Amino acid sequence: GHLVGVQRRAVEEMEEVKEEGEEMDVNDCGGGGLEVVRVLVVDDSPVDRKIVEMLLRRSEGIFDVVSVDSGKKAMEVLGLNEIEAKPPNHDDQKIDIVLTDYCMPEMTGLDLLKAVKANSSSRSIPVVMMSSENDSERISSCRAIGAEDFILKPLQVKDVQRLRTYTVPIGPMSKRGSKRKLPMALIAKSNGERHAPPR
Amino acid sequence: MELGSLQRRYIDFTTALFREGFLDNQYTQLQQLQDESNPEFVLEVVTLFFEDSEKLLDELSRTLDQQVVDYKKVDAHVHQLKGSSASIGAQRVKNVCMAFRNFCEERNQEGCLRCLQQVRQEYFLVKSKLETLFRLEKQILAAGGSVPVLW
Repeated sequence: GHLVGVQRRAVEEMEEVKEEGEEMDVNDCGGGGLEVVRVLVVDDSPVDRKIVEMLLRRSEGIFDVVSVDSGKKAMEVLGLNEIEAKPPNHDDQKIDIVLTDYCMPEMTGLDLLKAVKANSSSRSIPVVMMSSENDSERISSCRAIGAEDFILKPLQVKDVQRLRTYTVPIGPMSKRGSKRKLPMALIAKSNGERHAPPR
Repeated sequence: MELGSLQRRYIDFTTALFREGFLDNQYTQLQQLQDESNPEFVLEVVTLFFEDSEKLLDELSRTLDQQVVDYKKVDAHVHQLKGSSASIGAQRVKNVCMAFRNFCEERNQEGCLRCLQQVRQEYFLVKSKLETLFRLEKQILAAGGSVPVLW
């Protein structure tokens, strides 16, 4: 039926991304199987949440997605409290990486990033920012506070596939193919090099 | 209508949508994400876009109608509309939003009201086009055929 063409093309693209991902894994991880990565998606836009969820789910089953529509709800999922930090308990969902929009009402993505990095129980969780604005000041602020990366919206398949690399031990620097990505030098940390933003 | 004609009509209609700038490559990205386990993904995302946009347009009308306009609020709504229209590939809506934000920054009420009218027009145009597209897809499937893949 008509979905065959859709599926074939999508599978081809995912395989291309997977090949790239596998190459990076071989170079960076030194072995080990692909574990499921639990991603907390934070975005007040229902449209963007749905698209990001689908991008993650189509990534060959390596992402388990939890999505919320506010920074406040993200804090709850992470077992954090806006007023005072509390240690995580077994009821809190274990999150491997946070993917958050920057512009959100009340608690922005930047506020969430600060809260995650300020708390000893969540500090090690990588936080990746998403934004439709390519704002160098915004990117610098996020970087300074500890964001792993800053991705321009709308997200693409390759943007999502790369998320996994932020949750595994870093090896030698790998090539970055996307012109739209502004790497935060996570991989470069391990070898002392720095990435300059492409724009 | 006969299947072949429906499919030809679909191809012509879709091609025109992209040529006239109503849709851009982001829409194609959404189509590529759709598969047999999520056969209604594009329809679901676009439906969310319709609901979200109409809420935002109503809010914009209300906010711009105030005695003292809160331009920060207007800008926040336009930013959201710009984001979601970019996410589904509604290029003309997105472009008007960009101009709209400039008027917000200038606190230009007249400019904002003109943009509101324009963005509303573009939104309802693309909504109508997408509804026609989905209707054609449904008709093709009902006739036992496949929806042509144009990418």
